[in-house]
Amino acid sequence: MAQLELQGLRRTYAGINAVDGVSLHLAAGSLVALLGPSGCGKSTTLRMIAGLEQPDAGRILVAGQDVTHLPPWSRRMGVVFQSYALFPHMTVEANVGFGLRMQGVGTSERLRRSRAALDLVGLSDHAGKKPRQLSGGQQQRVALARALAIEPTLLLLDEPLSALDAKLRDELRVEMRILQRRLGATAVFVTHDQAEALAMADQVAVMERGRIAQLGTPEDVFERPATAFVATFVGRSARLPGTAHGTTTRCGPGSHGSTLHTATPHHGPVTLFIRPHRIRLLAPGAPALDGFPNVLDGTIASIDYTGATVELVLDTPAGRVPIDLPADDPAWRTLTPGAPARAGWEPSHTMAFPA
Amino acid sequence: MTRRTGLLLCLPALAILALAFLWPLGILARMSLNRTEDGRLFPDITGETYVRLAEDAFTWGLTFDSLRLSAVSATGALLLAYPMALFLVRTRSRFRAALALAAIAPLLVSGTARVIGWLAILGDQGLVNAGLAALGLPRQPLINNWTGVQIGLTESVMPYTVLALLAGFGRLDTALEDAAATLGARPLSTFWRITVPLTLPAILGAWILAFVLGMSAFITPKLMGGGRVFVLATEIYDAAVQTLDWPTAAALAMYVLLLLALILAAQSALLKRVGT
Repeated sequence: MAQLELQGLRRTYAGINAVDGVSLHLAAGSLVALLGPSGCGKSTTLRMIAGLEQPDAGRILVAGQDVTHLPPWSRRMGVVFQSYALFPHMTVEANVGFGLRMQGVGTSERLRRSRAALDLVGLSDHAGKKPRQLSGGQQQRVALARALAIEPTLLLLDEPLSALDAKLRDELRVEMRILQRRLGATAVFVTHDQAEALAMADQVAVMERGRIAQLGTPEDVFERPATAFVATFVGRSARLPGTAHGTTTRCGPGSHGSTLHTATPHHGPVTLFIRPHRIRLLAPGAPALDGFPNVLDGTIASIDYTGATVELVLDTPAGRVPIDLPADDPAWRTLTPGAPARAGWEPSHTMAFPA
Repeated sequence: MTRRTGLLLCLPALAILALAFLWPLGILARMSLNRTEDGRLFPDITGETYVRLAEDAFTWGLTFDSLRLSAVSATGALLLAYPMALFLVRTRSRFRAALALAAIAPLLVSGTARVIGWLAILGDQGLVNAGLAALGLPRQPLINNWTGVQIGLTESVMPYTVLALLAGFGRLDTALEDAAATLGARPLSTFWRITVPLTLPAILGAWILAFVLGMSAFITPKLMGGGRVFVLATEIYDAAVQTLDWPTAAALAMYVLLLLALILAAQSALLKRVGT
């Protein structure tokens, strides 16, 4: 049985469907990321699961029980808010123990369990402090401990890392995932950061205008995006507009255009998507290699060294083509902006969506 | 900004304060040390006005009545204003601005006009008593006594408490109440454990403001008390204008100032303790 099930959840604000028929199954112990741009309905969906907002239609089931009309205080869901929402007038320990206090757990038991929750996030030494005496990362951990202390049926994370700087965000992301796995918590994670969603989640639900555009494993949404929106939102790509006739597509203007190949047939106006790590940098003027029937000639627009990879951008008549090279590959060292270059890739790595 | 430019920027305000507040205050302090005899003023330096006032049980009665009146009306105004301010801060209604304006609209009307309005409502032939009579109930004396003054004063300080609360509620984050709810707190529990503690500084500030305004209120006790309600403010007025006993008026004014200073000091000490 699914730990969480959403059935046709809908929420309307001023005539606009903020959430428009969201359905979802979530197995116990797994983590689903609701991924999408702001205004896509991901936060509203989370708030409806928490009971902080009422759906206009649809049902929410937790472990088979309909909780759609239960108030938030009867749902026992651990929520980590974007702003953490720690109670500023209470100590860290009182914050973590608040949920247990509301459940009527006795003082000594409450102390023991809130200490245990603080231990989980490595903050037992800060129990007596007020939230404002802690750093952003520590506050985030307290918020997580507070949500975990009530032994929630679901863990709901609303952009829990977005207020932190990049390095800390990565560290806490790993910590959170390890903790969630260890406790076997079923979790819904709302984020607009695709890298975060791919790294954390068992299932990613990419949301667009109140609907789930695609639900799948991180690999599914990255490698096999269902729509042009998903392909655009998750990961970078070369995006080349063109006209398809079967497995060939004409891209670029008239005589300067190129014929590119796709593995599956398409017809009419399309946009081709190719991931930067699938594209090879070839010598200019070199004949098309076996396996790289798709080639585009252009000039190098930029060379960005980012540490492990070097991100090139090629300007071609068909459009801009980003290429990721391993920094170990010495090829990029001889490149200069403005120099001619050729990009090549396989038809099987070419995704096409109707434009 | 350096210390000096800061000081420079404060200069106009300080100058006005010195000219319009400290200077007259000095004159008042000096006046309170004068002596009157048979309506004639002697420019002495003597504390005998203070001594006479301190020995007079009437002064202490006045003090008690004034403090009680101000405290009760401040508390009443706060209790009425708090839910209103909380609603105004929360609501997403498009009438929010209009409602906020309505809450403080009484400030746009002169105090005298408002008192006259109350007389029409609370008077012997007023709305309330007409209603009571229609129900066959005995009429209640609601003006020219403490009840009337209490009602009028509560109403007259309420817009200020709404304003003070609204200003203080700025930092009230609704996510905190959401968090409390998800942790199992029912609305009433959230209110007492989260909302009230977090708005305590605003509550204290609004109460003190209402209290200070109540202590210095003159029109309402004078007009709604019908000459039967005596507070420090009306007594100062009577001493200055009716009996022309300026040293007594000045000494009472200095005394009220001292009382308010003590209360403000107590408030700031309290704020330091509750301030999160």
